[in-house]
Amino acid sequence: MKKLLIIIPFMMLVLISAERSETGGKIPDLKIKLLDGKKTSIHTLLEDGPLLIDFWATWCKPCKKVMKHLDKYHNKYEENGFKVLMVNQDTPRSVGKVKSYIKSQNYSFYVGLDPNQKIAKKLNGLIMPTLILVDTNGTILWRHQGYMPGEEVEIESKIQSAVGFSIN
Amino acid sequence: MSKPLLLFISFFITCLFAEDLSYNAAITSKFGDNYNFYTYTENRFDLNIFYKDFQSWIQYEYSNPPDIGFPINDIRKFRIEYGHDNYTVKLGDIYEFWGRGLVLNQIDDQTTNFDNGIRGMFLGYEKGWFSFNHINGNSNIWNLVESSRTPDYKNTHNVSANQIFFDLNSASLGLSHLSSKENHELKFDLRDSVSVFHNMKGIYGSWILDNVDIFVEYVDKVSTEKNNIYPDGPLDSLKSGHGVYLNFNIYAGNWGLSTEYKRYAFDKGHSSFTPDDYGNRIAFQTMPTLVREQNSTLLGRVTHQFNFNDERGVQLSLTGSILNLDVIAQYAHLSRNDEWQSQTLFNWVDTAIDGYLPGSNPSVLPYWENYFEISGSQLNDNLYYKLGRGNNRDILETMRYFKGEQQDRIMSSFWEYDTTYIDLYGYEYTIIDSTENFDTSFTDFYTVESKMWQESKSITYPLEVSYLFNNGYSVSINFEYQEKQLRNISKGNSKSYNISDSLWVLINPENPDSNFTEYVNQNNIDTQFNRMFSLTIGKASKWSASLNYDQTNAFFRQATVDPYYNPLEALIFGDLKYFTGKRNKVDPPDFIQKKWVSLELAYNLTSSQRISILYGSLQGGLFCSNGVCRTIEPFNDGIKLSYSAIF
Repeated sequence: MKKLLIIIPFMMLVLISAERSETGGKIPDLKIKLLDGKKTSIHTLLEDGPLLIDFWATWCKPCKKVMKHLDKYHNKYEENGFKVLMVNQDTPRSVGKVKSYIKSQNYSFYVGLDPNQKIAKKLNGLIMPTLILVDTNGTILWRHQGYMPGEEVEIESKIQSAVGFSIN
Repeated sequence: MSKPLLLFISFFITCLFAEDLSYNAAITSKFGDNYNFYTYTENRFDLNIFYKDFQSWIQYEYSNPPDIGFPINDIRKFRIEYGHDNYTVKLGDIYEFWGRGLVLNQIDDQTTNFDNGIRGMFLGYEKGWFSFNHINGNSNIWNLVESSRTPDYKNTHNVSANQIFFDLNSASLGLSHLSSKENHELKFDLRDSVSVFHNMKGIYGSWILDNVDIFVEYVDKVSTEKNNIYPDGPLDSLKSGHGVYLNFNIYAGNWGLSTEYKRYAFDKGHSSFTPDDYGNRIAFQTMPTLVREQNSTLLGRVTHQFNFNDERGVQLSLTGSILNLDVIAQYAHLSRNDEWQSQTLFNWVDTAIDGYLPGSNPSVLPYWENYFEISGSQLNDNLYYKLGRGNNRDILETMRYFKGEQQDRIMSSFWEYDTTYIDLYGYEYTIIDSTENFDTSFTDFYTVESKMWQESKSITYPLEVSYLFNNGYSVSINFEYQEKQLRNISKGNSKSYNISDSLWVLINPENPDSNFTEYVNQNNIDTQFNRMFSLTIGKASKWSASLNYDQTNAFFRQATVDPYYNPLEALIFGDLKYFTGKRNKVDPPDFIQKKWVSLELAYNLTSSQRISILYGSLQGGLFCSNGVCRTIEPFNDGIKLSYSAIF
């Protein structure tokens, strides 16, 4: 009986949420420290337009592959208010190398630091890469786990529709 | 029903119908079954709820049993947070991270079953550039020692920690303090446990400029042991130590040089530390390791086993790009803080290393690694390639290590006679006394060198090539090649010690200067050759299929025998006899031994739901994460299923 009482609320939630597995829900306003030492929050970054959040680490191979495309989209749609926030999950073991890597690639997107996965746990970004596209109202438009070569096409189409939505 | 669950359900139901509610959730499920007679099932459900100034997190787990850890069917973790204006209150499972973790870095890593979370309370105050945080609670920290799957060592901590932090964006300063009353379990002692009080004070700071940044952290630690004979009496001083970490980075153009230095000195000892050792570094101190975080399987298997109690080191890492090629060059050198000399076979005496840098002498158990990698993209980014080269050299232990002078003792004896005459009652008696005298003389001093240590050396080449076709299909090939040696090295003019004479025994007493160097390969294996190959074909956003092949030629330690033979292996090796029924399937031929083959299919149900199935065998081995290592059990001829979803 005890197990049943435990499981029922969760199953209810799963059923309620099944239809919104990719979209829906509001992004909470979480504070984040950026690579340059400045502090911001997710809602602050949303003020000008949609935001794509991605979770990554320097040792994550697929993360590095998708980052090139995300930086390209960050620059391409910047004038539409679109931004990319890369939330880094390197632990103390490798966090010292994060800025070196970003500088070496000349990336211009926002890089946030999340060394003990506080933000990743709150947004369920523990699988890397995990992408969350949010519109300017804070509504989650799209969630995506993992990266395979070629998926950048779908990512860009989602960004385009988000930017179009926000422009309209 | 547990109180946390009741509290959560009440909160959840209250919030469910509220307008300002938002939530997200994640499900991960894993199942594994193989011929090693271990079937596991792990199911976790994470739920985050955000309602106005409240946040909550709950993790429910049903694992019976999990891959590693205890079976559980309950709320595993929970936390409720309230933040308003400048204040934050958290109740439940607290995970915080201060500085670079020399005082506090809390991790819940289920792949190594390491969890140093604190169940209790967090109070935070933040105004402008000033913040103050306080943590109070209890923690049960389990270690895997005798079993490879179920934790068997438990240390409990009652923790109180405080942090003051001044954050001026480009510059910051933090002061941290943590005290813990620990009940430390003992397995090889007459006592079941001991009570130890740990007290740590730390300071850290950073300064970030455009082209330079620096981070420094220092911690001082003192531990005392409770006096069990007089419980109300003073605490017995036990151990004290310190830790330093420095990170200095320079950036120029699209190049960055990262330099790191560490010196952790919380305890020292010639032999490896065991979970029975207490009073030294505690599990909340999860500090930088200063080796490269590898994403190559074979390099991960030869990584260094860190010693957070007694280790110093440097790491340099250069990252940049030139001619459309991304370049990574890394070098690390670690060692213990003291040289250990074996005065006898059992009496080891330490001498601190001069200066601040790590030593190279085998008696300080040095470790070197360097890694070089180039990668790039061509053909409109459709072709990606990567080539790496990693070198590792690790002195694992010293069995003898003496270099000094000794002299032989020569004992000689002679008799002395003394004759006396006594007149007694008119008679003259002659009495002769004899005495044996001993004379000790010494030879000239001569040099003795008697050294023996175990060394592991390897060179590894990871290679990756992938190509993306215009129709969304992609092909990726990963190949890793490794040569590894594990051997005992003896050096000097002596191989043994004479306990009765308290002298090292020369191999050639006639010629003390005759030195030797001897190499003995572990298990008579000169070089272990390891190869890994994986071929992945995928369709973007839909599915991927990976064929993985892992091979070695020999085992340094206990052999991992694969007693079963499956159709996938028969297909890969073109063994027609298997399919015509002429092959004994439970006594596979030699050509299948020391090889592991698996096929993994992954399918994206939606962009946020993924399912995968793996069939075949996987070689076990060392797996490290966040400085915590565990040996993964081999997976023989089985099926693994996994499902993950976020919503």
